[in-house]
Amino acid sequence: MAITGRDTFLERVRGALGRFPGAPELDDATHIGLAVEDVRRLADDVRREMSESGDALLDAITESAAMAGWKVRRVASPEDAADVVAEICSETGATNVLRSDQDVFASIPVDAALSSKGITPRVATVGGAGDDIPTLKQAAFDADVGITGVDYAIAETGTVVLHPRKGLSRLVSLAPGRHIAILNWGDVLPSLDELFTLERADFNDGAIEGSMNLISGPSRTGDIAAKIVDGIHGPFEVHLVIVG
Amino acid sequence: MLPTTDRFKKGAKETLADPVIQMSMEAVYTGFHTNRQLAGTATEGWDEQRDRGRAIKEHTIANLDYYLEMLTDKIDANGGNVFFAEDSAAATEYILNLASARDVKTVIKSKSMVSEEMSLAHEMEAVGIEAVETDLGEYIIQLAGEAPYHIIAPAIHKSQDQVAEMFSEKTGTDPGQTPEELTTTARGMLRETFLRADMSVTGVNFAVAESGSIVLVTNEGNGRMCTSMPRVHVAVMGMEKIVPSMQDLGMMLRILIRSATGQRISSYVTMINGPRRDKEEDGPEEFHLVIVDNGRMKLLADPKLREALYCLRCGACLNACPVYRKVGGHSYGWVYPGPIGAVVSPVMSGLKQGKDLPFASSLCGACREVCPVRIDIPNMLLHLRQQVVEGPSEDRNIGRFERLGWKAWRFANMKSSRFHTGGKMANLLGRPFARKGMFRRLPPPLSGWTRSRDMPLPASSPFRDRFKKRRSGGGE
Repeated sequence: MAITGRDTFLERVRGALGRFPGAPELDDATHIGLAVEDVRRLADDVRREMSESGDALLDAITESAAMAGWKVRRVASPEDAADVVAEICSETGATNVLRSDQDVFASIPVDAALSSKGITPRVATVGGAGDDIPTLKQAAFDADVGITGVDYAIAETGTVVLHPRKGLSRLVSLAPGRHIAILNWGDVLPSLDELFTLERADFNDGAIEGSMNLISGPSRTGDIAAKIVDGIHGPFEVHLVIVG
Repeated sequence: MLPTTDRFKKGAKETLADPVIQMSMEAVYTGFHTNRQLAGTATEGWDEQRDRGRAIKEHTIANLDYYLEMLTDKIDANGGNVFFAEDSAAATEYILNLASARDVKTVIKSKSMVSEEMSLAHEMEAVGIEAVETDLGEYIIQLAGEAPYHIIAPAIHKSQDQVAEMFSEKTGTDPGQTPEELTTTARGMLRETFLRADMSVTGVNFAVAESGSIVLVTNEGNGRMCTSMPRVHVAVMGMEKIVPSMQDLGMMLRILIRSATGQRISSYVTMINGPRRDKEEDGPEEFHLVIVDNGRMKLLADPKLREALYCLRCGACLNACPVYRKVGGHSYGWVYPGPIGAVVSPVMSGLKQGKDLPFASSLCGACREVCPVRIDIPNMLLHLRQQVVEGPSEDRNIGRFERLGWKAWRFANMKSSRFHTGGKMANLLGRPFARKGMFRRLPPPLSGWTRSRDMPLPASSPFRDRFKKRRSGGGE
């Protein structure tokens, strides 16, 4: 696409800095010098830790997610997870349920559990058999509950990470009043730092998505008289169902 | 917005005389300040991370041209557009032209201090585009037609009743609504706008040079709405908002968010790597990044002021500042209030305009103490004060009499005998005017002192005399 006005702007920056064009000397202050293979090695270490410490990390996120404002339920099996999701929907009186089209719904029988409660979820996709974008938007705004999987979770902060892509609309986790996220064993990262190591490796491999959302609790505001209120633009209630 | 930094003294006086604001604000700042302290203590390696944050900003700003080039190359490769703007006017023109070319009717805005510099919402309304602020605080001050009061809590000075009244006027809701009810009202009003919007304008918390990503930090989710709903997304950033690598983001997010609200992380952090990808379900078709100078080059060019560009806009220095806490956000007269505002506003808006701001500090150092990247604000304030008093006489903020007074003061204190006699003289001459050893009111130019506090009468027998007497065994 287009870059406008760069040459003169950079010339002025160099003038202000008294600097000549060229790469800076890299020091410990920056990671940018790390070679592609170093980043890949670091990412491999992260993935190894995710599985080696899978149990401990799941324990840690159970606690930190609750602190961040998630309503956390930990279950033993995929069937139990599906039942919990269906219970939340029926207990909150949801009739209009939207879900993403992620792999997680192949392993966790959410549709079946919902249908036993008389609920048929709408799948948020566009094109083909799906909707057009304006219809999808309206459907997301009208939904009582949005259900998604989780790409990663972060133990440090009680965060769920989602990369919008084919099958995962940006809006399913945002527009409905309630969001239910389903987290599997082995997808938990220790801290934000490991997340960005993985992102960096993906970027180097040309595999990065168009965007990434870190979600840590409900949509919140403190803008009226400094009173914290949940549910200003996004969900007022968020559920994390942990399998394992 | 146009700077009114020249009316600091007037604004400060008005705020000081307002008991309601004094009471309510104190609690808010103390809350933020305490949360920040608790978050810092609870974070492993907090001070090391701050040092690292500073080192990264220092490195990036020192090589800014290199990283700007890298960032914009990557955005280009990601399918985005970049516009470099020398000033507000150029940035505004680009965005208005884009809006007109894309037949935009409604723009949703997420919180952006740079767009406040540009008065972008006003400019859009002026050409017939509906521009709606979507951060609840920004939405409230947009309804009130005011400037942000605090960097991260723009409408913090508005009481619940004031907000309820404004919403009632706008939508006919009950003017006695609670914060919870008001939030629901705002949710309804803004959702309708989100569905209609053609274009969004957001700020940028961090831009990542190596990947061409921008990062947005919000609690409300309006940043996500703005980057999910409309066809066109425009992000506006000050030229300094870069980090070299994604690897820096974990630490940067930690020190920013924990310094701002004391949360471990905000509800939402969104990273945008260009427009929506081909197969994606939704998201903007176009992504534009506008990189703005608007006076920042002056900060960059002065080695003593350069570190003002390390600022992450967390607002911690505001909450810590004994002056900001008393005079409030609007007294500073521009987009950036508080200690960091006292540095950047005079430079960006012109020192002549903002000459009172560098003096709006007791130099106590609390701002430097709490700054996540340890910006030495007091030192920069001194540097600016020096520029003001050594600058052209018409730009100075002290009058002829005050200068004369200081000259006399200097003369009197150059020799100990003069100081000694001077003190005694002041006691003799002052005695008839003092009450219980205090001057209640002094004539100009000293009236400025006695307006808000009393001035003690110099002692009749100064310390030096008493000390001498006591040493020689005279006692007292």
